[in-house]
Amino acid sequence: MEPTYHDGGMNFCWRVPYLFSEPKRYDVVAVRFAGSKVMLLKRVVALEGEQVEFRDGKLFVDGKEVKERYVLYPCNWNLPPRWVEKDCVYVIGDNRKMPMENHYFGQASKNRIVGVPLW
Amino acid sequence: MVKIRYILLAVLIVTVGIVVVFYFLPSEEKKVRKQCRLLSEGVLKSPKENAFTMLQKMKNIGALFDEHCELKAPSQSLSGSYTRQEISTYAGSARSFFSQLDLKFYDFHIVFPEKEVAKVTLTARLTGRSTTGEQVDETRELECILKKIEKKWLFSAIEVVEVLKK
Repeated sequence: MEPTYHDGGMNFCWRVPYLFSEPKRYDVVAVRFAGSKVMLLKRVVALEGEQVEFRDGKLFVDGKEVKERYVLYPCNWNLPPRWVEKDCVYVIGDNRKMPMENHYFGQASKNRIVGVPLW
Repeated sequence: MVKIRYILLAVLIVTVGIVVVFYFLPSEEKKVRKQCRLLSEGVLKSPKENAFTMLQKMKNIGALFDEHCELKAPSQSLSGSYTRQEISTYAGSARSFFSQLDLKFYDFHIVFPEKEVAKVTLTARLTGRSTTGEQVDETRELECILKKIEKKWLFSAIEVVEVLKK
């Protein structure tokens, strides 16, 4: 999630927000990646039923380009369009300077979204 | 008075017996955990490993699996049913890419959905160094099915949980 959050930095996960509401677009969320302790910090870029794609590093949701002010490093990612399934959200990290194949992103079940970083 | 003493003694013996059985006889859950530990020992590789140890470990890994095991790891393009022999060979081949390898399991969640079937969800962390000097540190959630065959718990399916689907 560079530059928004630094690798190896310490944070706390605040679980309350998603007990009463659903994750919203552009929320930074903690995704439960393995077991109960391994979490990833990602940003929600699309919601269920929406179509996501990358063209020359630019994110498109439902065919419209999304201006991502939080992304500082340009990239050349290309990803064919895909639909976000029911009860899922599409999450991506802010650090796009690495090759797409090495970046953990994609649609995650809402059950895996455990909360938001406290700061 | 003597009778009461005998009854107390009998109660004490029964209690001690229950405690001994509870603590010292391995439960099915402990046996399943042991298989996971043996798998991680089989994967473990030190830089000084010799050919004999390597062959022994390949054999040991194979022995932990059912005759046919379903493997599903989308990120490694691994999917389908593999024989014990194929898994053993695959493990040997995969280990040869590393000079040092360590596999640890955490966060065990074990349930027994059917008789002689165990479903284990766990966190696997693979660390090491490739033969080209690259550091490896990968963590994944795994779902494993073990079946009890001839009093042994054997892996019959392993799936790497795909949390983020591109």
